[in-house]
Amino acid sequence: MNKIAKLNSILMWCTMILVLIFAPIVLPVFGIEMATEIVIFSLFAISINLLIKYIGLVSFGHAAFFGVGAYIVAIVLKSVAGFPLFGLLLLSIGSAVLLAAIIGFFSVRSSPSYFPLLVLAFQMLLLTIAMKWRSLTGGDDGMPIIRPDFYLPIIGEINLIDSVNMYYLSLVIVIMALFLVYLALKTPLGNAFLCTKINPSRASHLGYNILLIRWIAFVLSGAMAGLAGGLYVIFQEFVATTTMDLHMSFTAFMMVLIGGTAYYLGPVLGVTFYILMTYFLSDITPHWQLYLGVMFIIIVKYSEGGLVGLIEKLRDIFSHTTKEVFNDVNT
Amino acid sequence: METVTEIYFVEMLHGLVYGMLLFLVASGFTLVFGLMNVLNLSHTGFYMLGAYLAYSVTVYLDNFWLALIICPIITGIAGLGVEHIFLRKIHSREGAHAAELLLTFGIFYVISELIVMTWGSFELDVPAPEILTGSITFVGITYPVYRFFILAISGAILALMTFVLQKTRTGMMIKAAVSDAKMLDSLGVNVSLVFLGVFGGGSALAGLAGVIAAPFFTAYPSMGLEILIDCFVVVVVGGFGSLMGAFVAALMIGELHSFGVLLFPNIALAFQFLLMAGVLVFKPAGLFGEKNE
Amino acid sequence: MMSILKLQSVYKSFGGFHVLRDVNLEVEELEKHVIIGPNGAGKSTLFNVITGFHKITKGKIIYDSVDITSKKIHKIARLGLSRSFQISQIFQDMTVYENIRNSVMSKMRRRLSITFDINKPKRIKEECEKIITMLQLGPVENKMASDINYGSQRKLEIGLCLAMDPKLILMDEPTAGLDAEETYKFVKLIKQITTNKTLIVVEHDMDIVFDLADKITVLDYGRKLVTGTASEVKNNEEVQRCYLRR
Repeated sequence: MNKIAKLNSILMWCTMILVLIFAPIVLPVFGIEMATEIVIFSLFAISINLLIKYIGLVSFGHAAFFGVGAYIVAIVLKSVAGFPLFGLLLLSIGSAVLLAAIIGFFSVRSSPSYFPLLVLAFQMLLLTIAMKWRSLTGGDDGMPIIRPDFYLPIIGEINLIDSVNMYYLSLVIVIMALFLVYLALKTPLGNAFLCTKINPSRASHLGYNILLIRWIAFVLSGAMAGLAGGLYVIFQEFVATTTMDLHMSFTAFMMVLIGGTAYYLGPVLGVTFYILMTYFLSDITPHWQLYLGVMFIIIVKYSEGGLVGLIEKLRDIFSHTTKEVFNDVNT
Repeated sequence: METVTEIYFVEMLHGLVYGMLLFLVASGFTLVFGLMNVLNLSHTGFYMLGAYLAYSVTVYLDNFWLALIICPIITGIAGLGVEHIFLRKIHSREGAHAAELLLTFGIFYVISELIVMTWGSFELDVPAPEILTGSITFVGITYPVYRFFILAISGAILALMTFVLQKTRTGMMIKAAVSDAKMLDSLGVNVSLVFLGVFGGGSALAGLAGVIAAPFFTAYPSMGLEILIDCFVVVVVGGFGSLMGAFVAALMIGELHSFGVLLFPNIALAFQFLLMAGVLVFKPAGLFGEKNE
Repeated sequence: MMSILKLQSVYKSFGGFHVLRDVNLEVEELEKHVIIGPNGAGKSTLFNVITGFHKITKGKIIYDSVDITSKKIHKIARLGLSRSFQISQIFQDMTVYENIRNSVMSKMRRRLSITFDINKPKRIKEECEKIITMLQLGPVENKMASDINYGSQRKLEIGLCLAMDPKLILMDEPTAGLDAEETYKFVKLIKQITTNKTLIVVEHDMDIVFDLADKITVLDYGRKLVTGTASEVKNNEEVQRCYLRR
C-alpha cells in the first residue's frame, strides 16, 4: 500500500514540475507574468504559513519583510548600477533577517494573542518611515527599476526583461528556497518548532527554550518573505509603499487562509486562486474586491482549512489513496 | 496676531477634539478585545457607516439631530448582526485567532466597498445645523463652535460611560466579563448577553462618533481605514482591553497629531508610531495593560 | 547522602495572597519524598516554584548545589530536574513515540540541530524504544497521544519526564483519575523505574503515601507542618489536629 502511495506521489510531483517547466510554452505573455506572480507570492504566503503551521504564531505584519526585501533591492540598484543579481537577492534576505531578528526579539515575548498585532505595529512603523523618507524610498510615488541582467557560467548573460527568463529565475529560486526550508523542517529544529506549537509549557519544562525557538522560526520566515520581496520588485520593475501596507498584509493572509494552513504547500492554491480571481473578476466587475471579500469570508467561515480543506473533503468522497499521497508528500 | 500661548492652546484644543473622537471609537474596539480576545477590525466600518448615514439623513431629512439618534441605532444593530452571524461560530473554533482577525478585516472590507458602492467614492459634505456653525470668542481666542460641540458630546458620553461602569451593576458585569469571562459564566451570569451588549453598544458608539465627525471631516472612502490604524495604535499604546488606557492613549495621539503637524510637519505621522514602538519595547502590554503570560 | 534539593525560607505570594510561607525543605539523593496536605495547601505551587514556572517572593532554592532561585524553566529542566503534571501535559497532536522523542532529543542536547533528518539516526530510535518498553507503552507507540486511553496518557506523562534521564522527578498526583487496579499497577511501575532517581510526589491516597515514602512532608495553608518518617508524621499532634479539623 505504501509503495503505491509513494509511486503516486512521485508521479504527482513529476507532473507538477513538468507543468511548471513547460508552462511558458503554452501560455501567452500575460499568462507567464501571472504565473511568475503566483510563484513569487507563493513563497511569501508559505513564509507566513510556516509560522502558523509549525509554531502556531500568526504574524499579521509580514509585509514588513516583503517590503524591506523589495526596497533594499530597489535602493541598491538605483545607487550601484550593475550590482550582481544574486547579491541583490542575498541582500533582500539579509535585510529581512536583520529586521526579523529585531522585531522578533521584542515580539516573541508576548502571548500568542498579542503577537499578530505587535508585528503589525512594527510594520506600520516601517510603513511610515517608507512613506516619509522620500529621498530614500520615493515615498508614495515609489521607485522604478530596470531588471538587471545576470551571468550564469556556461549559459552566459541572461536578459531578465524577457518574461520567460524572469519566470524561470523566480521558479528556480523559489523552489530552491522552499526545498531548503522543507529539509530544515525535517530536522530536530523542525521538531522543536512543533513542540513549541503543540505544548509550549511542557516543552519548556523539557528543556526547550521556547522564546529562542520562536525567534528562530520568525527570522527564518522573515528571510523567506524578504526573498519574495526582492524577486517581486525585480519582476514588477517598481517598488512602492504598497509592498508593505495593511492591504498587502491582508492580501497575503487571505491567500494563506484560502489555501489552507494544514499543509506546507497549501498556500500555493490560495495564491493561485486569489491571483486568478483578481485578474478575471476585475474584467467582469469594478467591485471585484467586494466579491472577493465576500468569497473570502465564506471560505474562512464555512470551511476549516480553506480550499485545501474543501478539496480534501471532496477527495475523501472519491478516493482514499490520494489523501495518503498528499499526507505522505507534505510534512 | 496670536501669541504663542494662544497658538499652543488652540492646538491643544484641536488635539483634545480629535483625541476624544478617537476615544469614542477606540473604546468599543478595546472593550471587545478585552471581552472576546478578538480585535474586531470591522469596528471602524461602523464609524464610517455612521458618517455616511448621517449624510443621507441630514441631506434627505434635513435634520442633523435626527441623525444623531437614528444612525447610532442602525450601526448598533448592524454590529449585533455581525457579531451574531460571523463571530459567534468562529469564536468557538480552536486556535482560530488568525481566522477571526482576518474575518473581521474581511467584513471591514465588505462594509467599505458596500458604502462606496452605495454612496460613490467622492467626499461628501455633511452640513452641520445652523447653531453649531461659526466660531465663538473666549479668552481672546476664536474657536469653531462645532469643535466645542464635539467636545461637549464626547465629554457627556465619557461621563455616562464612567457612571455606568463604576456605579451600575451592568457596569460591574461588563468589567468582570472583560477581566475574566469564563469565571463570570460559571457564576451563572449570561455572558453572551454581556458580549452582545458591549458589541452592540460599541458599534453604536462608533456610529455616533461617525455622525459627529462627518460635518468636521466630511465623509470619505478611506476614513474607516485611517481611523482603524489610529485605533490600533491606541489599543497597543493604551493596553488591550483597558478603557482607561484607551482614553489616555487616544488623547496622547490626538495631541501628537496636533503638535506633530505644528512643530515637525515632515515626520508628524511617525510620532505616534514611535510612541507605539516605544511602548512595545518597554511595556509590551500597553501603558495600562495587564501582563500577559 | 548529599541533599539534592534544598528550599530555604521560601515564600510565594500572588498579589497580597500568600500561597507559600517560610517553607524549609531538604530532600536527599535517591530519597522518595511524598508531600501531602489538604487542597489549597500550596502543593502544586511548591512544584511550580521549584521548576521555575513561578518566581518566589523570598528565599532560596538550591538544586544539586546550584542556586536555581531565579533560573528559567528550561535551564532548570536541563540540569536534570523534571516534573509531571496533575492534568496530563502531553503533546496531543503527536504520536506516543514522537512524544517520548521530544524528551530524548532534549536529553541528547540535540534540540535544535539542523544537520540531520530526525527520522534517520538509529540511536534516537533505540533510546525512545527503551523508554517506551519500560513504560509498557509498546502497543500504542504509533498512536496519537490524544487517542490513547487515560491510563496510558498518565504513563506517557511520566514517561516524558523519565526520557530526560533526570536526577530529580517531581510528580504531581501521578495516579489522579486512575481506578484501584490501574493505581496499584502504576505505583509498582513508578517504583520500578525510579530506583536510581530522587522522587518528590504529591499524593492524596494515604496507602500510596505510606507505600512509597521514605519521608513525608505535610503542608497546610502554605506552611510546612512537619517532615518525617511515616510514623513520625502519623503521631504528630499538629498534623492530627489539622486533619481532624477538616
